[in-house]
Amino acid sequence: MKKAVLLTAAFCSALGAAAQVADSLYVQEENADFTFTETQLDEESDVSQTVSSVIGSQSDTYLSKVGYRWSSMRFRVRALDNRYSQYYMNGLLLNDQERGTFNYSQIGGMNDATRNRENVGGYEFNNFGLQDIGGGTNINSRASQFAEGSKLTLSATNRNYILRGAFTHATGVLPSGWAFAANVGYRWAKEGVIEGTFYSAFNYFLAAEKRLRDGEHSVSLVTFGAPTKRGTQTFATEEAYWLANSHYYNPNWGYQNGKKRNAAVVKSFEPTTILTWDWRINELQKLTTSAGFTYNSYGKSSLGWAGDAYDPRPTYYKNLPSSVFNVYDPERNNPDYLAENPYFLEQYETLVDYWTSSKANRQINWDRLYYVNRENEKAGGEALYYLYSRHSDQLVYSLSSTYNHTIDRYSKASAGLQMSHTKTMHYNQMEDLLGGTRYTDIDKFAVSDYGLGSEEAQNDLRYWNRQVKEGDKFGNNYNIFVNKANFWAQYQYNRGNISAAVGGDIEGTSIEREGLMQNGRAPKNSYGKSGHARFLGGGGKFSLAWRPAANNRITFSGSYDAQAPLARNSFVAPEMQNNFVDNLHLERVFGTELAYNFRFGELTGKLSGYYAHFSKGVEQSWYYNDQQSTFTYLTMSNVSKAHYGLEAAFVYQVDSHLSFNLIGTISDAKYVNNPYAQISYQGMNASELERLNQCTDPNGKETPLRVVADGMRVSGTPLTAVSLGANYNINGWFFEANLNYYDRVYVGWSQYRRLNATYRTDGRFYTPSSVDANGQMVFEPTKAELETNGGILFDNAGNVLKTYAIKQEKFDGGFMLDLSIGRYLRLKKGKSLSINLSVNNVTNNRNMRTGGMEWQRADNYYNERGGVYSKGEAKAYQFSKNARYYYANAINAFLNIGFKF
Amino acid sequence: MKARHIYLYIYALLAVGLAACVDQHDEPAAGELLVTSTTSVGETNTTIAAVKARFCSGSSVAETTINSNNYWSKVTENLVLEGVVVGNDEGENMYQTLLLRDINAAAGSDQCIGLKIRNTFLSPYFPLGQRVKVNLKGLYVGVYSAMPVIGQPYITSMGNKRLGAMLLELCRKNIELIGKPNRGAPELIPIVLEDAWLQASANRNYNNTPILATVKGVIAEVQGAAAATAEIGANSGEAEPLPKIYGPEALYDDGYAVNRHIVLGNNYQVTLRTSTDNAISFTAIPSDSRSYTGMLSYYGSEWQMTLRSLDDIYPSVK
Repeated sequence: MKKAVLLTAAFCSALGAAAQVADSLYVQEENADFTFTETQLDEESDVSQTVSSVIGSQSDTYLSKVGYRWSSMRFRVRALDNRYSQYYMNGLLLNDQERGTFNYSQIGGMNDATRNRENVGGYEFNNFGLQDIGGGTNINSRASQFAEGSKLTLSATNRNYILRGAFTHATGVLPSGWAFAANVGYRWAKEGVIEGTFYSAFNYFLAAEKRLRDGEHSVSLVTFGAPTKRGTQTFATEEAYWLANSHYYNPNWGYQNGKKRNAAVVKSFEPTTILTWDWRINELQKLTTSAGFTYNSYGKSSLGWAGDAYDPRPTYYKNLPSSVFNVYDPERNNPDYLAENPYFLEQYETLVDYWTSSKANRQINWDRLYYVNRENEKAGGEALYYLYSRHSDQLVYSLSSTYNHTIDRYSKASAGLQMSHTKTMHYNQMEDLLGGTRYTDIDKFAVSDYGLGSEEAQNDLRYWNRQVKEGDKFGNNYNIFVNKANFWAQYQYNRGNISAAVGGDIEGTSIEREGLMQNGRAPKNSYGKSGHARFLGGGGKFSLAWRPAANNRITFSGSYDAQAPLARNSFVAPEMQNNFVDNLHLERVFGTELAYNFRFGELTGKLSGYYAHFSKGVEQSWYYNDQQSTFTYLTMSNVSKAHYGLEAAFVYQVDSHLSFNLIGTISDAKYVNNPYAQISYQGMNASELERLNQCTDPNGKETPLRVVADGMRVSGTPLTAVSLGANYNINGWFFEANLNYYDRVYVGWSQYRRLNATYRTDGRFYTPSSVDANGQMVFEPTKAELETNGGILFDNAGNVLKTYAIKQEKFDGGFMLDLSIGRYLRLKKGKSLSINLSVNNVTNNRNMRTGGMEWQRADNYYNERGGVYSKGEAKAYQFSKNARYYYANAINAFLNIGFKF
Repeated sequence: MKARHIYLYIYALLAVGLAACVDQHDEPAAGELLVTSTTSVGETNTTIAAVKARFCSGSSVAETTINSNNYWSKVTENLVLEGVVVGNDEGENMYQTLLLRDINAAAGSDQCIGLKIRNTFLSPYFPLGQRVKVNLKGLYVGVYSAMPVIGQPYITSMGNKRLGAMLLELCRKNIELIGKPNRGAPELIPIVLEDAWLQASANRNYNNTPILATVKGVIAEVQGAAAATAEIGANSGEAEPLPKIYGPEALYDDGYAVNRHIVLGNNYQVTLRTSTDNAISFTAIPSDSRSYTGMLSYYGSEWQMTLRSLDDIYPSVK
């Protein structure tokens, strides 16, 4: 009882309590989860959310290795988004129902508390739910599952943070039937490995369980959270990296009063509580019911600016030397032209000097922002610069119940129900007026379009010219509700050389927006509720396995699923108004896999091929639009994609100490059609909206707005990866070396540049210029030109013959070497000490791009005549040549010391 | 158990202590922040009048000539002039332009020149009434659409080379603030111009452009039947809203501005040029006579005025 009091007290102080870990001797596991999890927090939230969560079954030679080993390059299994994998705790689904993804920060730092997990592939039978094709993970965090004892962990690294400490303790099952487990930890960096970042994250975890009636029933309560504050990095163009002389240049920070301050700070805290009731009905049947509650507070700060205030970001393109003249135009960037017009090179060099002469010059100038605000207020104005947070807070109630039945020695079945109610509260919150005292809640773009005194300028018509103070909500404020109910069932039969599994589910989803502001640009459909969009989906899957010989298994699996679109993509301009996007349908996901698992003597392995097809998907992006000088939402609907590839893994066990492994994949993941597009922008001028959503063929006939996406690759993950590894262990020492090769990572592509309407304006609609001797239509551009610059070929009647997407950049491949050494010492009285040092990217390859993003901006000015746009002069700054990139971490080390007692 | 207590306490102390070290910031002192030189840019050794005479009196004196209204030369010596900021972008209507004025009683001159700087909001750094010194070495002086300016050449959105804004980064080297801004400076008193002076073609020369001036009149576009007749924008293809405002976006031209016309006493007209996205542009045009103060320049045979802010429109000549 004293232990319980201590643990509860510690928990209440938000510093957690003591806990104990599962007794794992596998040294890599000491930080494997930890590293993988933290890697996903490295970057922008958008990026982290796409990282695939599921590694697959531990018994899967391929899937059990690739997630950790290739995490440096943000490898996603089969290039799948995180949303196609499910993450459970004690049978309760934890995926965010608005975005579909699991947020790793929810369990940040709780490695020891979340170590008891079951990973399953997308087609595998399991006891906790029907998984999407990315598979699923179920963490068993019941207190009774923790081995009795304590563990102290200390870590040092040069990654996002530099120090980590964790303490865990578990009581085991006490004679009274109670079991307690707890964990507390803290991760910290005053400055992480990326300049200007910092990290401060507590984490706590508490589990209590009571077993009743000799274990027939047990009730478990777990509660955990990780209040985190961290300064982030962001990407930049190659030019900015060159000027900063580092691929790890971070434009998010700057000096304030001589001290570094980061503008993009994430504050998150997702306290979660799960109550679980396990009922062992008999030896063959079990019912597990969990109820969960989460309140997630998530905000990421960003600089805002109003009026004509100059863009405060150091990497604003007009600050860059290449904004002076078009350096990609050979007619300008040549010695004769530059000699004739020396002022261009002068300005270019001035900016190069400025960028390179002082670090402060290439960072945010906070002092200047304060100065401008104060001066503007002195002149009668108000704050022009401010720091605000974009919040996506979330309230989740969920319930699951799972029934498992071992029918006989050959067959078993499971079925369950998952229900959840998610309310996501989106709003902007004023963090800091940066020396100012006044700010009016109006939209600066609407002020430009409609005037300061206009209704349209008001962000909330109910509170005209509302004054915003620090801590106030402003700009936008709305809720998104998602209700889901899912019923699923699975059955597995296993006899002799054959095993088979089938499963199916049916899922109902409703999506609704509730506006809490009456936006002046959408006064009639911004405040109040949108009404529900309802979807009834579901699907089924099967898996057939045949064992032709001992230790050989061939498995053929398939699935088909119809899923509701993500709520985050379902509204045309969610920050402003309630309208749903057009063509909002269930997304269809078809998947299949053929796998061969084998063991020949000391050689084990797996060969597999897979194919997945996605159709009727909805994707949304938003960006600053040059033509309308405001933010624009571009929604693609009817999106079709195909993911397919081959995977292989071989492990050769030389003896009980030494083994070698070779794993690899070659795959493709691409868009296979030209989806419909729908544009909405914050100005909401009706005639402009109509014009933006129009496109005409060469004959002037209206044609649907589309994005020429066919052939575009899914970005941000290597589509080719190979790894050769060796493991050696002896007398408690562990050595591991992995040489990894990555290739075919593609940049995130711009939908705007590939709109058919953009093609039309840019003159990339082509009709036959002639007919050749064979009667074939001849077009002016060459195929190579079309494949580079994009274009659409029409016949003379205006029918589309072929579409070409603008070429997507593929990054250079390269090698990275990772080494690890560990020592496990078994001490007296059951105590043990483990030490592990892993060094990633030993060769310090600093040129491996892990991802990036094209600009959604045009290279040319657009001339308007009589309301019709035409392509104008090339801009000095060529956005298409200046994508922004992320690079894999340079050499980095992680030292982990664990002491169990 | 004791050891576990100690661990917990150590953790708590460490965590609280370390957390206090991150993301704490003091506000910068409310003092001066200079984008200009912190040291002297040199002794004043020339005047705006002299600089205009040397570099803006005609294309024949220029190193680079695009046409008779656009030419420039690079200054290669330490020519240092002084002037008071009498026009800036505080009303978001003068784009990347400061109007400098120098009244030299001894020389009997009163001259203005445009100083173009690449930044969208210059007024906090260069408020009205601020005296500045500009060392022209390395900068370019010439005319932009016939108006004498200091800056650096650039390529416009129409693909033309023009003398435009200098990099803000050069302010640190070439510009020095002298004293504090003085809203009562005599340079801020505009010259009131009458029809006769404006009509005299002899006055349309580089010495008289730009000027901080006041003219009085009515706006032609809201007189009589014109007031209720919405014009159609040549670019946008859209009709302007009624009642008419100074700078409707529907009427924007290639310079992203709208021309209205101030009709003076004897029907002589001065073009009133207004950007489409500021407080002036959305202001309803009064039909009665008003005084308009701003940067006056000429192009061809037309005088053209750019207001600094809404305060530059008032009922009668002050």
